[in-house]
Amino acid sequence: MSAAPETVSGPLITADGIPLKESLQKSLRRSKIRAALLVAPPLLFLIFLFVIPIGNMLTRSVDDKLINQVLPNTFEAFESWDKVSEPDESMFEAIYQDLKAADKTDIGKASVRMNYAKPGWRSLIKRTARRIKKMEPPYKEAFLKADDRWTDNEYWLSLGIMKDKRTLGYYLNAVDRTYDFDKNVIHVDEERKVYNLLWWRTIQVSIIVTLACLLLAYPVAYLLATLPMRIANLLMICVLMPFWTSLLVRIVAWMIMLQQNGVVNDTLVAAGILSDENRLAMMYNFNGTVIVMTQILLPFMILPIFSVMKTIPPSYMKAAQNLGATPTLAFIRVYMPQTIPGIGAGCILVFIVAIGYYITPELVGGKDGRLIGNMVAYHMQRSLNWGLAAAMGTILLIVILIFYWIYDKIIGIDNMKMG
Amino acid sequence: MKSTLKLTLLASVVAVTTAAQAEVNIVSWGGAYTASQQKAYQATYKDPDSINFINYNGGLGEVRTQVESGNVTWDIVDVLPHEARVGCDEGLFEELDRSAFAPAPDGTAMDDDIMVEVPNDCVVPQIFWSYVPFYQEGTFKGEQPTTIADFFNVKKFPGKRGIHTWPNALIEMALLADGVAVKDVYKVMSTDAGIDRAFKMLDKIKDHAVFWSSGAKPLELVQSGEVAMSLAYNGRIGAAVLSEGAKFVTVWDGQVLEEEWLVMVKGAPNRDAAMDFLVHASTTESQAEQAKYINYGPMRSSAFEVMKKGEPWFHNGKTIMEHMPNRPEVMARSVVANPEWWADYGDSIGERYTAWMGQ
Repeated sequence: MSAAPETVSGPLITADGIPLKESLQKSLRRSKIRAALLVAPPLLFLIFLFVIPIGNMLTRSVDDKLINQVLPNTFEAFESWDKVSEPDESMFEAIYQDLKAADKTDIGKASVRMNYAKPGWRSLIKRTARRIKKMEPPYKEAFLKADDRWTDNEYWLSLGIMKDKRTLGYYLNAVDRTYDFDKNVIHVDEERKVYNLLWWRTIQVSIIVTLACLLLAYPVAYLLATLPMRIANLLMICVLMPFWTSLLVRIVAWMIMLQQNGVVNDTLVAAGILSDENRLAMMYNFNGTVIVMTQILLPFMILPIFSVMKTIPPSYMKAAQNLGATPTLAFIRVYMPQTIPGIGAGCILVFIVAIGYYITPELVGGKDGRLIGNMVAYHMQRSLNWGLAAAMGTILLIVILIFYWIYDKIIGIDNMKMG
Repeated sequence: MKSTLKLTLLASVVAVTTAAQAEVNIVSWGGAYTASQQKAYQATYKDPDSINFINYNGGLGEVRTQVESGNVTWDIVDVLPHEARVGCDEGLFEELDRSAFAPAPDGTAMDDDIMVEVPNDCVVPQIFWSYVPFYQEGTFKGEQPTTIADFFNVKKFPGKRGIHTWPNALIEMALLADGVAVKDVYKVMSTDAGIDRAFKMLDKIKDHAVFWSSGAKPLELVQSGEVAMSLAYNGRIGAAVLSEGAKFVTVWDGQVLEEEWLVMVKGAPNRDAAMDFLVHASTTESQAEQAKYINYGPMRSSAFEVMKKGEPWFHNGKTIMEHMPNRPEVMARSVVANPEWWADYGDSIGERYTAWMGQ
């Protein structure tokens, strides 16, 4: 007892003579660093593969800086133009100065961008830029000599669409709209409307595929969860085998099955159910896309539902029946509500994968079974209109978030169980 | 022990990087086409092992990704006319020293020896290929199709028609079939009325159209009788006829010729070796050599002369000239595709065509 006041008066000291507080802080710091290091890989992974690419996509979809950097004088001259009269010498001089000063590559990139606003800009700029070094005032005359399209006011007017550093043009393009020269939003010509149709079709296919998967997966999952272990395992292998098989192999197998002269049609004709001229068109169209995607995405629905069903004690059903419910009623009132977290997880999973699906529609979609994912790929790889591809990607992301929000409102996201 | 391990590791890393450096990666379309390039350019090259062929599906998406990220692994790419122009404009390709390339045997500089105007300093000549209609012998009784108008005439020549899923060449062909003269095609196409006219012609075969997007498909469609006539790449038809003895008949009227170029990717890791290979691949001899293995037409006129003198030129002893898309006899009724026009209007026509297909 007598030693106690002594230890309290001075600071607490550990065995090796360092004050306890410091020592504690040190070890805390060490464990903090350790924790940070442990978190670092997934965090970096998220930043590099998720935050940065998505941020990049969002910026690309609205970015219109380059053209303003390449043609600063031109846009200045454009502002002071009355938009009605023929462009005068000062405007030609402005664009001359810009083209002369700019880097060749930047001109190339800018002209591609300008071509989105008005087809024809690309070759107009290119042809003019090729002669820019030899040009002498008066520039208007020199420009007209390089290409007589310079008198066409439409080219000049289209500059109005590009004068801001940010643009919603790509988003408008992705929903079949565009800017007119005064930056009002208008519909594109009827014969050029492509994307809205594709958006609807994509959502339609995704919903049909999700529902079809649910219908097919629910009984399978139920069997998996309730059959004796030995048979259930066998069934599980049947579910997983296709899941492990290469995507392309499965798609080609479906082609062989479903095409005009395929196995299914041949059998139906041989059996006399179909006449030879009325063979069903099940491949290279909308039907083909739906059938093949359903089969491919089925495991994504079966597995979450199965894992939830597995946790439901069979005694609940027995109790319900003991209390007087018929088996059907017990199933609907007692069993099904408990599987909703699995259904929700499966539906969200299948829907999200389906809405961005690309390879299956590309191979079996033909002309009316192609989805928005195919357009994104087209603009990434072929047309190189990355702004438009980014805008479509962003819209896809928003659509998914909207469905996610609806799901949260109706069922509640806390209810979702992946396994 | 540890240091030995380190040394071995280091040595293997060095070995791997040097091996990778010695290799020129050339990216092409695969199949019989790449095979012809391998036989004509790689096998005849002084150091065949240093050349590595990679397949791709076209488009500049990958090239732009590599150049923008600064992580370039491709050296040479085989590109379509549109890409050859856009890529050079955007600075995705190296501009090449034109004086380094071999002149023709008679001393004509390479760029003057090429049958079309050279669009920029990035490109190295490859071949001409074409979109052309064809059918199988015995498909039609009596009169046989001989003109592009016949392709669009399903009353006179009944049956389905195979066409591709993008508008290139189809617009030109539709106008030719409608009676537009070869030299006026792009003039007409540059007006809205001209495009409407082309689509009106396309409407005539729309209900009979089967769409294809991969080069092997039209042959399959015609062979199986799924369509009566189809458009296809001339090299595919020629390969089936020359090498496999297929009974296909090509309608040499109203074909649309396209260029094919080799380019070097900006910042190519093996610039000098790649340049050396490009010089080799573009000589008159190499160009002529390639036609032994595939019936795409060389771009250099001098190579054409070599082939003419050497007939039968095909590697299996058959004559090749009647399968060449750019031989003089058919040029009068052929349109040489105008990539500048397509670079300007390709996107908007593409949208209209996609909408047309989906209606």
